[in-house]
Amino acid sequence: MIDLIVFLVAAAICLVGAVGVVVARNPVHSALMLVMTLFGIAVHFVAQEAHFLAAVQVIVYAGAIVVMFLFVIMLLGVDVHTKLDLGGLKGQRVAAAAFGVVGLGVLVFLMTRVEDGITSQPAGTPIDPNTPDINQLAHSLFDQYVFAFELTSVLLIIAVIGAVILSRKPRPELEESQGGES
Amino acid sequence: MFAQLTQFESPPVDFFSLTPLFILVGGAVVIMLVTSLSPRPIPGWFSTAVSVAASAGAAVVAMVLWNDVRESGPYSTVSDAIGIDGFSLFFTVLVSLGVIATALVGDAYVRREHIAAPEFHALLLTAATGAIVMASANDLVVMFIGLESLSIGLYILAAMQFRRPHGREAAMKYFVLGAFSSAFLLYGIALVYGTTGSTSLIVIRERTSSLGAMVSPSELLIVGIALLLVGFAFKVAAAPFHFWAPDVYEGSGSPVSGFMASVAKAAAFAGLLRVVVVALGANEGDWAVPLAVLSAISIIVGAVMAITQNDVKRMLAFSSVGHAGYILVGVQAATAEGMSSALFYLFAYTFMVIGSFAVVSVIGWDNGHPIERYEGLAKRRPWLAGAFTVFLLAQAGVPMTAGFVAKFLVIKSAVAEEIYWLAILAMVASVITAFMYLRIVMAMWARDADVDDAPRLAVAPATAFVVAAAVAITLVYGIIPDSLIEFTRDAVPALVAGN
Amino acid sequence: MEATGSNAWLISLAVFLPLLGALVMMAIPKEEEDLHKLIALASSLAALIAGVFILARFDYDNAGTLQFVVDKSWIDVINSRYIIALDGLSLPMFMLSLVVVPLCIIYSWDHIPEPGNAKAFLILLLVLATGMNGTFVAHDLILFFVFFEVVLLPMYFLIGVWGGPERKYASLKFFLFTLFGSALMILSFLALFFLSDVQTFDMRILPEAAAGIHSTTAIWIFGGMFMGFGIKVPMFPFHTWLPDAHTQAPTVGSVILAAVLLKLGTYGFIRIAIPILPEAAAEWAPWIGLLAVIGIIYGALGCLAQTDMKRLIAFSSVAHMGYVMLGISTLTDFGMNAAVFGMVAHGLITGMLFFIAGSVKERYHTLEISRLGGLLVSAPRLGWILGFASMASLGLPGLAGFWGEFPAILAAYQPADGLPVETFRTYMVIAALGTVLAAGYLLWMYQRTSFGEPSEEWADTEIDDVGTFEWIAWTPFLLAIVVFGVYPNLLFSVTDDAVVNIADIVAKSTGG
Repeated sequence: MIDLIVFLVAAAICLVGAVGVVVARNPVHSALMLVMTLFGIAVHFVAQEAHFLAAVQVIVYAGAIVVMFLFVIMLLGVDVHTKLDLGGLKGQRVAAAAFGVVGLGVLVFLMTRVEDGITSQPAGTPIDPNTPDINQLAHSLFDQYVFAFELTSVLLIIAVIGAVILSRKPRPELEESQGGES
Repeated sequence: MFAQLTQFESPPVDFFSLTPLFILVGGAVVIMLVTSLSPRPIPGWFSTAVSVAASAGAAVVAMVLWNDVRESGPYSTVSDAIGIDGFSLFFTVLVSLGVIATALVGDAYVRREHIAAPEFHALLLTAATGAIVMASANDLVVMFIGLESLSIGLYILAAMQFRRPHGREAAMKYFVLGAFSSAFLLYGIALVYGTTGSTSLIVIRERTSSLGAMVSPSELLIVGIALLLVGFAFKVAAAPFHFWAPDVYEGSGSPVSGFMASVAKAAAFAGLLRVVVVALGANEGDWAVPLAVLSAISIIVGAVMAITQNDVKRMLAFSSVGHAGYILVGVQAATAEGMSSALFYLFAYTFMVIGSFAVVSVIGWDNGHPIERYEGLAKRRPWLAGAFTVFLLAQAGVPMTAGFVAKFLVIKSAVAEEIYWLAILAMVASVITAFMYLRIVMAMWARDADVDDAPRLAVAPATAFVVAAAVAITLVYGIIPDSLIEFTRDAVPALVAGN
Repeated sequence: MEATGSNAWLISLAVFLPLLGALVMMAIPKEEEDLHKLIALASSLAALIAGVFILARFDYDNAGTLQFVVDKSWIDVINSRYIIALDGLSLPMFMLSLVVVPLCIIYSWDHIPEPGNAKAFLILLLVLATGMNGTFVAHDLILFFVFFEVVLLPMYFLIGVWGGPERKYASLKFFLFTLFGSALMILSFLALFFLSDVQTFDMRILPEAAAGIHSTTAIWIFGGMFMGFGIKVPMFPFHTWLPDAHTQAPTVGSVILAAVLLKLGTYGFIRIAIPILPEAAAEWAPWIGLLAVIGIIYGALGCLAQTDMKRLIAFSSVAHMGYVMLGISTLTDFGMNAAVFGMVAHGLITGMLFFIAGSVKERYHTLEISRLGGLLVSAPRLGWILGFASMASLGLPGLAGFWGEFPAILAAYQPADGLPVETFRTYMVIAALGTVLAAGYLLWMYQRTSFGEPSEEWADTEIDDVGTFEWIAWTPFLLAIVVFGVYPNLLFSVTDDAVVNIADIVAKSTGG
């Protein structure tokens, strides 16, 4: 019972935070809402007794990354009133909301039909209570998921390149010289 | 604690089988390092050369591996995360060829549009890595990271079009909807993991095919499969999850659009085939009919929407939706033949569409691609018009082109499974789409077009080479498709554990 | 049967020589117009010579069996083979196609239509030739389909680029109609492949292998083929592409369309649809017959309503193909022989009429019947040839047209066993009425264009009479019309054996 309550509260925190990130007009508020979501997830980890992950979640995501966001927002001086309204089709929002609700309804309906519940399904390797979870994490990270882990480096390369491209202001003199080449 | 550390054994890695990935990533790193560290400006062709060489190398290594696999059977490596089988190697070759073509077409394109060449090519290579990983993944997590590498690379490639009015909008749309679809996929993965207890496709296949291991054929698994289907349908641009495609294809640079329509689509289909058709093959009853419906809707939407367009790039985008539908015809048949026909279709389509977008990139400039711009092309550039005609007719499925063989094979696989309604629908829709292709052809060969004051079209040698090669492939595999069909028949995902 | 072995390559030679010519021409710059014409003519004549050899070595005593058989592997993985062979049924059609192309090239010598570009025009003609020749000799369904479709593209471009003012509409309509038919046809082929006892596309085996197909299914499969072949013929409700295509096509395009292309459809019925699915054919036959007679009457009435000479000839094609289909729908050897004869005769006569229409158009720059007149005065030879062709077309005994129409009508008196006799006799009466109408519209057309004095508009214009290239191109047509008209057995004796075989298959399945 207590599990359920913790789950519901944490999930609510996550959702409120996520909605807040999108809805907030001030980018700083958005970033703070993100902290809320990440915190909610950390609570979920705790509830699953993954204490190490919960700590990492708070320290790395809520701490370091969001702080970085805030730095960038402050340094770039993003205008508080950046207008993000892209217009869109008439009635699009209503339609989107309607479809969203219907989709959610279908999903919830299907979930409730699951008689046995998630927990009765065979899980993977049962978690050994005698091994610290940091060791277990290391094992799965460097054994079963080592390729995925290493592959993330490619993802990071892409992210770096992307960041460079998207943040670079078009340089007119470069264009001139390149144009001359062709 | 230390005692435990010594117990850890890192999983065996067969580095040679990962070589194609290393070469591609290495190429990207070399491009970035050399161009940023060099004291003098590096000429634009350097990046092109590196990316062509890297992809060619990857393709060659893949062929060598292919030989090994044929002799000693498929295997998995790195804790069964990556499967080396005919299927993954087929896609390695296909993706590498796609990168070569895109890089060559992109060479002139980046110069003209003042896009940073090193970044463009580095992103192509890393995105291709993601695509290959998707096709080789034996694990849902690996598959997902591969998908993200591909997608994020493409988001940025789409956003490189600073000068175009639609460029940023397209990139934004692509990013938001792409992330949205990734979320579906991820949720699907989570549910499949929840029911089967593993992210490994090998284990998933074992557990789903032997019902005894499961408490019951779970509804949760069905929901998971449904979400996976939605996610993949987004990525392959199948209707009704295609809404991003026309805007994104229109707003992105033509070589990038070609890359999306070929390599990205192929990779997404590879993922779909590997995860849904093979790993979850035992649940055919749950996904075959939805896939058939998706296929039918895509074919109809692709046909009906394409004929109402007036912009060549949007036409090609909708036709690409339609082609996704045709490929799904082969996929939903859920037979070995169906899978091989889908692979054949992907291979043939890759070259048709890259060729088409190469031609479009030569013709297009700032003001979009209204069909009027193609009028009289035959007078200005007869060979280019001829090549484009071949690509369009091949997409329409005219015999003696690979497009016909491809359509024939997918329809055949549907007829073999006695899914006549879909076969008839597909054939009728192909006539409707033919109208759209013919409109472009007609415009190009219009004899009364006034072309005297039209600007001269510069066709870079590299682009010309790609177009010529694509025409050759389209025609050769249209007349003697045997070897390619054999190739696709051997390209079956194995999902075996260990070396 | 001795011809089967060593000379087997002759057919392939005749099929692919034009394509070879086209490939050579591609490498030559387009300024060398004369060279292009020479190569085109040479390659098509070479194909014709190969055809003459075939004609000489053909074993006429065994006209019912396939000769010059080549059976090589092609696309193994889908069980499709390169099977090419000839029998008495294919031979006349094959020869017709071989003869028409060089004559068209000769005609084009000084008649390259607007906007010029002899190179592209002739290349397309040669590709077309390969497609047509191949269709008549292919004995594998996929190979047949490929050739059948290869024909589509060059014709599409011929109409779309070199056609009249409405060419875009006409070419698109032509392409889409035919493609629609082909789409359903290929589905039928696939269904045949999977449902027959042996999974094969081999047309020689299929009649036996397909015998086990459930009759309801067979009717559906036949329906798919009916759409494919029927649109190509074209049969009544699907005929609307034909007048447009004919009217807009350049002269040579119209000639080939009339002389050969339409026959691909009827040939398909006799060669593929009927022998493979005889039972379904018997179910369909009354309906095919019905559409055929509707086509006859509708085509004739359509002709009477036309003001444009080329459009009139086009509608007359609908009517003539109606006779051919009526002959086929009887499913008897008599009817199908008539149909094959009708195909050849219609090809020669209507081809000839389109040639004349093209020449008239070139001289008068119009084909409005009301603006023409006095052709016999201003260009007497052209006028006489038009008269001759019109007479042949309306089925005057002694000319080729008669032997296509008359036996087809007669055959409807006694259709194959199992077909409703009364229905077919009704068809017979209606079809006979059609001949009267045919006489009406052709004579009306001839009278208004050729008799009398030239109209005011052309009184001062000098009209050239038939030129050298026209003579060369037309003489074989005119001779053939007379020869086949006087001695029809020349053709009947060739086709009879093959047609009897097919009629036997039908009789066996419906009788037993």
